[in-house]
Amino acid sequence: MDQRNNKMGWLFTSPYLIYSLIFFFGPLIWSFFLSVTDWNLIAPTFNIIGFENFMDALKSPSVHSAFWVTYKFMLIFVPIVTVLAIAVAVLVHGLPRFKSLFLIGFFLPYLSSGVVSSLIVKGLLSYTSPLNVFLRKIGLDIDWLGTPLSALFIVGLILAWKFTGYYALILTSGLASIDKEVYEAAAIDGVTERQRFWRITLPLLYPSLYTTLILAFGVTFGIFTEVYQLTGGGPNNATNTWQMEIFKQAFTNLQAGYASAVALLASVATFISIFIIRKLLEIWGKRNGWV
Amino acid sequence: MVGSNRNRGVRRTVRYVLAIALLLVMVYPYLYMVLNSFADWTQIDKQLVPTKYSFKSYEWLFTGGETGITRPWLHAFLNSVIVSLASTVLMMIFGVMVAYALSKLNFFGRNAINNFVLFHMFFPAIILLIPTFLIIQRVGLYDSYFGLILPKAVSLWAIFMYTNFFKAVPTVFIEAARLDGASDLKIMYKIMLPMSKSITTVIFLFLLMERWTELLWDMIAVKSDSMLTLNVLISQMFGPYGSYPGPLYAASALLTLPIIIMFIIFGKKFQEGMQFSLK
Repeated sequence: MDQRNNKMGWLFTSPYLIYSLIFFFGPLIWSFFLSVTDWNLIAPTFNIIGFENFMDALKSPSVHSAFWVTYKFMLIFVPIVTVLAIAVAVLVHGLPRFKSLFLIGFFLPYLSSGVVSSLIVKGLLSYTSPLNVFLRKIGLDIDWLGTPLSALFIVGLILAWKFTGYYALILTSGLASIDKEVYEAAAIDGVTERQRFWRITLPLLYPSLYTTLILAFGVTFGIFTEVYQLTGGGPNNATNTWQMEIFKQAFTNLQAGYASAVALLASVATFISIFIIRKLLEIWGKRNGWV
Repeated sequence: MVGSNRNRGVRRTVRYVLAIALLLVMVYPYLYMVLNSFADWTQIDKQLVPTKYSFKSYEWLFTGGETGITRPWLHAFLNSVIVSLASTVLMMIFGVMVAYALSKLNFFGRNAINNFVLFHMFFPAIILLIPTFLIIQRVGLYDSYFGLILPKAVSLWAIFMYTNFFKAVPTVFIEAARLDGASDLKIMYKIMLPMSKSITTVIFLFLLMERWTELLWDMIAVKSDSMLTLNVLISQMFGPYGSYPGPLYAASALLTLPIIIMFIIFGKKFQEGMQFSLK
C-alpha cells in the first residue's frame, strides 16, 4: 500500500464522499433536529418541543394506518408477484425457442412509470369501462377505488404487474444454473412432474428466490406514486403508505417537524422489518435444507 | 416412442399457448394506453379495443383544445430528457470511479468506505427527503435543473454493481498497464469499462428508466410550469385536466415510448448483461 494508492483512492472516491456528506449526513442530522421542533416549513421561527412530535405520531390514526398498510400490501403483493414470477420463469424456461423474446415481453411492464400505470388502471376501472358495464349488467356496482379492500388489491396488483417480469428474469437465470443431470437422474427414478417441481426445482431455485423475495418485501416500504395518483391514501387511510403520510404531513400540511418525526419512525419500522424478514427467510431456507 | 413424441409436441404447444396468453394479459395495459390515445373521444375508456380512431388527442396536446391552455408538454418532455440523461451520466461516471477505487486501489480507509456504501444502500431514504428539499432550497437550487439533478447524481446501486464486476477483472491486467505507464484514468477507461461492457448497458438502462419515471422528488424540487418533467406534468393533468383522458393517454404514450425504444435498441446487449449480472 503506497502513498500513490492512498491519494488516488481518496481522489476517486471523493465524488461519493462529498455526495454522502451533503445528501446523507447533512439531511440525517437535520432530520433529527427537525423532529424535535414544531417548525412548519415556512415560518421564520420555531420552538424546540422535545419528543412531542413522536408522542403525537404514535397516537395518530394515520400513522397507525401507514404502519399496517405496509404489511397489508406485503400480504397481497408478495405472494402474487412471487407466484406469477415463478410461473412465468418456469413457463418461459421450458420453451425451446424465443425464450429471451418472451422474457423481454414480460419485462416491459417494469418500464412503465407509476403515473402511467395508474392512469391506465383508472381508465380500465372507470364507470363506463367494459369491466364495470359488464359487472353492472349482472348486478354488481363496485366502487373499486372507494372500497378499502379493493383499493388495496388494485395497488397491489399494479405493483405485481410491474415487477413480475423483472423477478421472472432473475428466477430464469436461477433455473438456468440448475444442473440438467439432476433432472435426468430424477427421471430415471420415475419422479412425477409435481414432485420434480417441489423437491428439485424449488429447493435449487431458493438462492434466486431469496433475492426476489427480499426485493419484493423492500418494494412495499416505498410505495408512493400509485397511491398518490389513485387514492391519495384513501379511502379512510386504507392505502395510506409511509411515503404518502410523510409527503402529506410535510408538503400538504406543512408540518416539517412532525413529518420528520414520522419519517424517523418509518425508517425504524422499515429497518427492523427488513431485518426480521431476512432472518425468517434464512431460517425457512435452512430448516428445509435449501441453503 | 411415437406416442411419447406426440405427447411432447402437445405439451410444447400448450406451453407456447400459455406463454402467449399470459404475455398478452401482461402487455394489454400498454396496448390499451396506445389504442386509447388514438381513439375517437366518444370511445375512450368504453371499449377494450376502440373501433373509431382520430389524432385529436395528440392535436390537443399541442393546441390545448377548447380550453386554449397549451400545456407545456413538449417543454416537459425536453426537461425529462435533460434531467434524466444528465443524472444518469453522472451516476455512471461516479459509479465507475468509486467502484474502481473500491475494487482495485488498495488504500487506507477502503474497507470503511466499502462498508459504508452497503449501509447507505440499505438505509431508508425517506427520512432524508424533507432535509434534502431544505438544502436544495437554502443553496438556491430550488426550481432549477441542478436541484433535480444533483441529489440524484450518485447511485449506490451502480457503485455496488460495478465494484462486484471490477473485482472479477484480473489484477494482472492493471499491473501490466501500470508498468506500461498508464494512468488510473486510462486504466479505468481503456481496460475496466470495455471489460464490463455488457453490465454497463444494464446499469445505464436501469438508472435511466428509474430517473425517467421519478415522481416524488421531481414534484417536490420544482414549482414553475417550465421546469416540470413529463411524468410530473402527466400527474398534474390527472387532476384539473382529468376530464380529458385522450390527451392524458397520448402524453403517457409519449412518456413510455422512448424508454421502450431504448430497451429495444439495446435489447441484445441488455439480455447479455442481465444474464451476466445474475450469474
